[in-house]
Amino acid sequence: MVAKKKTENSNGPSQKILQELHRKMVRIRKFEESAGKMMEDGKIPGALHLYVGQEAVASGVMQHLSNEDWITSTHRGHGHLVAKGGEFKPMFAELFGRSTGYCRGKGGSMHISNMDLGMLGANGIVGGGPPIAMGAAFSNKFKKNKNVSVAFFGDGASNEGSVHEAANMAALYQLPCVFVCENNGYGEYTPQARHQAIVDVADRAAGYGMPGVVCDGMDVMAVYEAAGEAIERARNGEGPTLLECKTYRYYDHVGVRGMGLNYRSDEEVEEWKNKDAIEAFEKRLLQLGVMTKKKIEKVHSSVNQDIEEAIAFANDSPYPLPEELLDNVYNEEA
Amino acid sequence: MDARTIGIVANPASGKDVRRLVARASVFDNREKCAIIRRALVGAVNAGARSFAYLDDSHNIAGGAFKEIGKDCEVVVVPCLKTSSALDTIHGARNMREHQPVANLILGGDGTSRAFVKGWRDAVLLPLSTGTNNVFPVLAEATIAGSALGVLAADGVNKEEVVRSVKIIDIEIEEEEGDIALIDAVVTNDQFIGSRALLNAGAIKKIFLTRAEPISVGMTSVGGLVAPLSEEEDAGLYLILDNTGSINVTAPIAPGLYDKLSIKSVERVKFNETIEFKGPCVLALDGEREREIQRDQKVKIRVGREGPGVLDVEKTMELAASRGFFT
Repeated sequence: MVAKKKTENSNGPSQKILQELHRKMVRIRKFEESAGKMMEDGKIPGALHLYVGQEAVASGVMQHLSNEDWITSTHRGHGHLVAKGGEFKPMFAELFGRSTGYCRGKGGSMHISNMDLGMLGANGIVGGGPPIAMGAAFSNKFKKNKNVSVAFFGDGASNEGSVHEAANMAALYQLPCVFVCENNGYGEYTPQARHQAIVDVADRAAGYGMPGVVCDGMDVMAVYEAAGEAIERARNGEGPTLLECKTYRYYDHVGVRGMGLNYRSDEEVEEWKNKDAIEAFEKRLLQLGVMTKKKIEKVHSSVNQDIEEAIAFANDSPYPLPEELLDNVYNEEA
Repeated sequence: MDARTIGIVANPASGKDVRRLVARASVFDNREKCAIIRRALVGAVNAGARSFAYLDDSHNIAGGAFKEIGKDCEVVVVPCLKTSSALDTIHGARNMREHQPVANLILGGDGTSRAFVKGWRDAVLLPLSTGTNNVFPVLAEATIAGSALGVLAADGVNKEEVVRSVKIIDIEIEEEEGDIALIDAVVTNDQFIGSRALLNAGAIKKIFLTRAEPISVGMTSVGGLVAPLSEEEDAGLYLILDNTGSINVTAPIAPGLYDKLSIKSVERVKFNETIEFKGPCVLALDGEREREIQRDQKVKIRVGREGPGVLDVEKTMELAASRGFFT
């Protein structure tokens, strides 16, 4: 069966896993490009923070997680949900503010979540996710299950008190939690060198009392391997890890063109695009014989098709009714 | 600038990879690297050095250390690409060469020294450990290492007395730029470079060593526990691994990590004797997966003593003291 076949270089993941990693990245890229275009065209209300460029991080980490594992996301959260198994139809519907969205149109881009997939939510508060992930990890430990939680946050959030507090508590109680810092070099429009005195956020791990590791966030296999080790440690009760992935967002802090602020050069953006995770991975998959050009094109076209259908679905979906304003906002059982 | 300049290079990425999780390797944060350079500078200046050139690394480690250097010292900032990859060290070494330092303090692991030598083959190095598998770096307190550098820079000893050329592995790769290794070149059946660390001993198929040391960790220990080979001997060691191998050894393949390896053959390799093989495979050089070799792509490997020079700290200090240099 093709799915279980290994490549000639036999040490490493199966072809099935490699193909899933590729598909995840392509799905994120195309979702975000489509969403960005619609935002620029005024078809999606509000602001979108796009994940284009950072696909390898979400894909490499999420490949090790099941629906029983929890994640918390950021304001740049679409990629995390796609990688966690999010479907395009309810995602686009959510961005369009329609009642068929994951949060019935009330969450939008920055609060999109789905408990069935273990996605505890994107979060408009910078540094808001890690304490929630730490709490989820606490519940997993309390319940004595083998599930883990993963907190995604950025270099900007790494300065927030909430992140320090969550990391401290996770280390203190040896919780099954992985802190994934997606260091894209900018806290909104502020270069990292102007918001912290360190370059490697992972250096702070020693202060929390947990291991810190730096990996290339533009290489999906580097992320896959490093995240695999960190998540396995967490599952085995060996405590939390701070995993820093060096990455880059191709588009602006908000939207595609952003606010036109002059805070980074076109040359810098091009340099990072030359390290594009999807292009590099496709090249290697071709070399290994894991995929053919035709198969790669087929992945792209099928994802394009899914997106077209999802956008049509979202467009055709109704808005929530005014009288439903407070429905599903609070957990009444709790 | 005169010939008594000391070059300084710090690798921001050393001591931070996934081996902190897979093995039990030390974490070297960049503050510690900066502190090591500061101590070395104190030692060097006290021994009489007054001229320095440092690579302007992406994390400003060396730059931070030079903040407190005396005004009587001449300091040159050597430009760095700042790609946050080994290219920074390779290109940095080329840039450093223009300033002709008498010796270069290198902070990192085996891979950092390898990258520097890729850029400047016949450099003189004093490698200090801030990496993972530290076979190549010298075990010395930074203050004294700096002092030895200062002695050399201040003509307290002659270079010929205290610098010894080490062995090197030269690698030819068909239709691609070649490569080098200072300690080990390992052939694995990995699919990707990925996180670079050698995570699975079962993936290792061949090991080429310049030295096989039972007192070190990493691939050198595999040969070292079976057929030790010192740096001084003019030969290399070539091991072929196989599940059905007749020699079984449990070796420390990384700090705090032992694994079982089954060895089919162990062979001493004469200088300039070439060993050939074909891909597909991944080549790990000095402890890190570096090159993806395609199917049927030819690779040739040989060992020789055309490597860089390494400053002998102990000999330098003893000679200088015996000559009254410090009094």
